[in-house]
Amino acid sequence: MNYSISLQELIDEFQEVDDKLERLKMVFDLSEEVNLLDSQFWSESTRVHGCQSEAHVLVSLNDGCILFQAGADSKLVQGLMGVLSIAIQGIDAQDALELTPDFATEMGILNSLSPSRSNGFRNMFDKVMKEIRQEM
Amino acid sequence: MREQFPILNRKINGYPLVYLDNAATTQKPQIVIDSMNDYYSNSNANVHRAVHTLAGEATDGYEGCRTTLKERYNADKVIITGGTTEAINLVAHSWGKTNLSPGDAVVLTEMEHHSDIVPWQMLAKELNIELRYVPVQQDLTLDMEIFAASLVGAKLVCVVHISNVLGVCNPVDEIISLAKENGARVLLDAAQSVPHQSIDFKKMGADFMAFSAHKMCGPTGIGALLVASDRFEEMEPFMGGGDMIETVTIRGSTYQTNEHKFEAGTPKIAEAIGWNAALKWMESIDFEKEHTRLLDIARWLSQELRSMGMTVYGRHDDNDAAVVSFLHPTMNSEDMAHLLDARGFAVRTGHHCAQPLLERLNITGTVRASLYFYNTREEVESLVKYMREILERFA
Repeated sequence: MNYSISLQELIDEFQEVDDKLERLKMVFDLSEEVNLLDSQFWSESTRVHGCQSEAHVLVSLNDGCILFQAGADSKLVQGLMGVLSIAIQGIDAQDALELTPDFATEMGILNSLSPSRSNGFRNMFDKVMKEIRQEM
Repeated sequence: MREQFPILNRKINGYPLVYLDNAATTQKPQIVIDSMNDYYSNSNANVHRAVHTLAGEATDGYEGCRTTLKERYNADKVIITGGTTEAINLVAHSWGKTNLSPGDAVVLTEMEHHSDIVPWQMLAKELNIELRYVPVQQDLTLDMEIFAASLVGAKLVCVVHISNVLGVCNPVDEIISLAKENGARVLLDAAQSVPHQSIDFKKMGADFMAFSAHKMCGPTGIGALLVASDRFEEMEPFMGGGDMIETVTIRGSTYQTNEHKFEAGTPKIAEAIGWNAALKWMESIDFEKEHTRLLDIARWLSQELRSMGMTVYGRHDDNDAAVVSFLHPTMNSEDMAHLLDARGFAVRTGHHCAQPLLERLNITGTVRASLYFYNTREEVESLVKYMREILERFA
């Protein structure tokens, strides 16, 4: 699949790093990339279920393009939200629906996480895609 | 000792494994692995009724585990179960259903593992019995005044010997003595104490004691319920099927009178053989000396963690286990566990199946490092050194 330039760069960057700790550091740093959904706006409807941490996402469309906001009580989870943000923020909703979670597998980040965290990422991805469809 | 545990040679992410999740499960020495392999390679057969050679060997292996358990813990009746959880459920079904009536009270504590709460909640719903919870105080001990008051009219006390979260050892002698004075029976959840202490079941005076093999270098999927002889006579089987019967006709069945009565179906033969090997292997270990060594390391670790700004949930008194539960003020505990795993350190995070206790402590989880015989001071020193490094980089 063809990814956006920024997503492809991110995938390449992750693939160059073998050390798990350094990969985790990169995910931690990506927590800064998230358009933050402040905890005062967290609710049952924003909650990502099946995630061991508190993780919340909110999706809206602006002229057919995605506006993605997210927040978590874990920096690592928020970093994963940063990864998703780079993948979908501002792109056309129709293009976003073409995405699968495979890009995270290609980056190797899911292998660096516990099964519960990688399932949490998939749950977050599914919730975001569902909300995009609802907004269209 | 470490060379007897093949898994300790493993590298995780290119770094030596430092296994500090022993309160969840312990690693297995080669002798345990070999004993199970040998059973499947040379003696595999079903136990008890067949007369052929293999069946005889399998039966000797399975019953050998029971004999060792009886001798080691001084118990007349040892029912082999699937583990601590199954053992507690067995008490609820086999003793609880026939000896508790609507309105009766069962005393539990806020320190219990879910395995010693949920079966009683289920039974309470079914029989309409009352559950009374003894609170945990700020100093992480049970409120013994409330405990004593809770005993009025109580039929059963269910108490954890050592907390899997705090490592706190409860005053079981006092608990058993108070319960007996009030005519209540006592079930002891000894999952975390048996791996660290020598226990004389009869001398201790509990009615039931439940524990698991895998927390003491044995295999997973097997444990035991020790039962006082008088209580054993009050129990009715709750699982029917092979091995637990004496005769079966279309008009009805009669049951075995010994422990087999509660071991329906093909039992855990390979696991019993593995556990027996672990129990025998442990005979050479000086429990008291090891306890002192590990507790010293746990105390040192707690002190170091506190100096890094962490909150440690434990007191590490002389009888407590070498379990260190802690939280960093800002770093998420799962994040920390991931960072530790990146350099081979295995610790546990989460609620440790003790949510009521965490609710009392006003937290939702901790990071927990728990030590066992094969852990060294050097390993824990390397944990502290690395933790300082990750806090500097990530906190």
